[in-house]
Amino acid sequence: MRKIAGILALTVAVFVATAAIQPNFVSAYNLQNLVRWTSLFGVLSLAAMFVIVTGGIDLSIGSVVCLVGCVLAWLLDRGWSTGAALAAAAALSVLIGLAHGLLITRWSIQPFVVTLCGLLIYRGLARWLTADQTLGFGSAHDGLRRLATGKVLLPFQSGGFALPTPFFVLLFLAAASAVVLHLTTGGRSLLALGRNEEAARFSGIRTHRLTVLAYVACAALSGLGGVLFALDCNSVQPASMGNFYELYAIAAAVLGGCSLRGGEASVLGTVLGAAVMRILYNAINLLQIPTQLEFAIIGTVLLLGVMADEGVRRIGRRMAARHQNA
Amino acid sequence: MLGAALLACGSCFSLAPIAAAESRDAQDGASQAKRPRVAFVSNGIASFWTIASAGAKAAAKEFDVDVDIRLPAQGASDQQRIVEDLLARGIDGLAIAPADPDNQSALLEEAARRTRMITHDSDAPKSPRLCYVGMDNYAGGRMCGKLVKEALPQGGEVLIFIGRLEQDNAKARRQGVIDELLDRPVSAKNYDPPGKLLKGEKYTILDTRTDQFDRARAKQNAEDAIAAYPNLACMVGLFAYNPPLMLDAVRQAGKLGTIKLVAFDEDDATLTGIIEGSIHGTVVQNPYRYGYDSVRILAALARGDQTVLPPKGFLDIPARQIRKDNVESFRAELKKNLAAGGG
Repeated sequence: MRKIAGILALTVAVFVATAAIQPNFVSAYNLQNLVRWTSLFGVLSLAAMFVIVTGGIDLSIGSVVCLVGCVLAWLLDRGWSTGAALAAAAALSVLIGLAHGLLITRWSIQPFVVTLCGLLIYRGLARWLTADQTLGFGSAHDGLRRLATGKVLLPFQSGGFALPTPFFVLLFLAAASAVVLHLTTGGRSLLALGRNEEAARFSGIRTHRLTVLAYVACAALSGLGGVLFALDCNSVQPASMGNFYELYAIAAAVLGGCSLRGGEASVLGTVLGAAVMRILYNAINLLQIPTQLEFAIIGTVLLLGVMADEGVRRIGRRMAARHQNA
Repeated sequence: MLGAALLACGSCFSLAPIAAAESRDAQDGASQAKRPRVAFVSNGIASFWTIASAGAKAAAKEFDVDVDIRLPAQGASDQQRIVEDLLARGIDGLAIAPADPDNQSALLEEAARRTRMITHDSDAPKSPRLCYVGMDNYAGGRMCGKLVKEALPQGGEVLIFIGRLEQDNAKARRQGVIDELLDRPVSAKNYDPPGKLLKGEKYTILDTRTDQFDRARAKQNAEDAIAAYPNLACMVGLFAYNPPLMLDAVRQAGKLGTIKLVAFDEDDATLTGIIEGSIHGTVVQNPYRYGYDSVRILAALARGDQTVLPPKGFLDIPARQIRKDNVESFRAELKKNLAAGGG
């Protein structure tokens, strides 16, 4: 819990401050949008979390989002059935993850290099496949689109607020991730592997297999993100779709308490990390701050958040040391 | 996979001397009999450019030239790389839509020195280009402003969405909308920086939101605007992909009809929106003619014919207003043009 105290405080602070200045921020409509965007980016943040836990990194998340989104649109455009196209998209994502994992474990290539190459390869393939054209879903796939744009009215809700479908996708994925990570032997082994791979291997953990699984999970979640983003915008643009999304995902995971050195992860923290970034984007638009300042503001707020978090930890450590000395 | 890569490499090696010899030929000026090679470079990737490419291809066929069509993915920096590579390889003419003319003067001067350069879609008036093929974007903006006035005769709050404001056509187009809504006299020299509330007698322009071609961002901008401005009466989308995303956001917010939509360009979803009545109208350029006339002019220039250059260096291809009454015929014309270019 202490790990996510910082990010929780930051989320609440930004939320309350924006709501105080612009009351429309807490309108049902805006909250729905906020939940939807957080859910979409949250899926990618969970993807990043799985590899960061192992001490690895995946720089290809944005390109996988693009390639899978493009493949889905391309297949549907060619008359594939929805089920077959979705299955192909899922298979492609898993294969990408498998390739990453095997290159990293069997060929001992650094994750940074493998996934950096992936970033270039998948973007290139997506642009080649679609001949750089924007592909749209039109209105033929409105049923499928509900996966990203649908809303679910809960019985106790009022004031026109309905939960967007991606929220349930994220909720399911977050719960499953938390259970896997904290309540299963595999998850604990994954954390152990991230802390010290050699020690984990000597203690009988099949580290290679776990690493491959982590990359498969990451690519599969990124692919799912790709499908959701494509459906949300109702079109895919191979050159720009998903650009920089890996950085948002990694930033959310790190803000949420994952250590880039590996071995530490928090599902809730990661989701909050994704939320705080979306809230900041939303706030900048709603508070009518010039969009040119956007990156500067987000960077500054995140840096302050991390600094405050580190400060709190230092005070905690100092107090604990003093307590021991006394 | 490896085999295919080796094969590709092999063919590169065998073709390389021929390519080098060809470019030397072109530079020698002994290329009268050879098919001229011209390049058509856009400022981004969009359905708009697919139509322009179809026009460029059709003209290439008709005027017997090879056309190299390049759509840069990442604005000015990508454009620079592409143009430098084209110049290095040797081309007989270049038609370019400068993404950032004020800061690309060195590149444009270099291009004009090494080949015949014209601009299309977005002009670079200070560069040594031979002519500009396109519309008067300021006039197009004013036409778009007139559509807003039709959609919203009683006046109200208006918000403008556009991909980016760095390029000449974007600035002029936006200014045209603003000047029309504020009933200012026609003057292409005006410039209102974004972020400033502009209040006229009937219309208030709240702001201009940019998205740098990121669709997800463009959609979020539209949603945030609906959330932030309860009295928002009209959204104006000035780049081809903006109106469909605005429409999506307005539809999902359940505000169809409450918030009027006015578009620019001819994205298919925009035309469908006009047919359904959810978008009031759009101002269309003629990208097919941009591509067609650019290649036509370059082909003639490459063969030494200077008479194709338009007077005052401006070939005006006027914009048109499309509303519910003429949208179907326009769509048919569009389909015919796309088929003609094999696009």
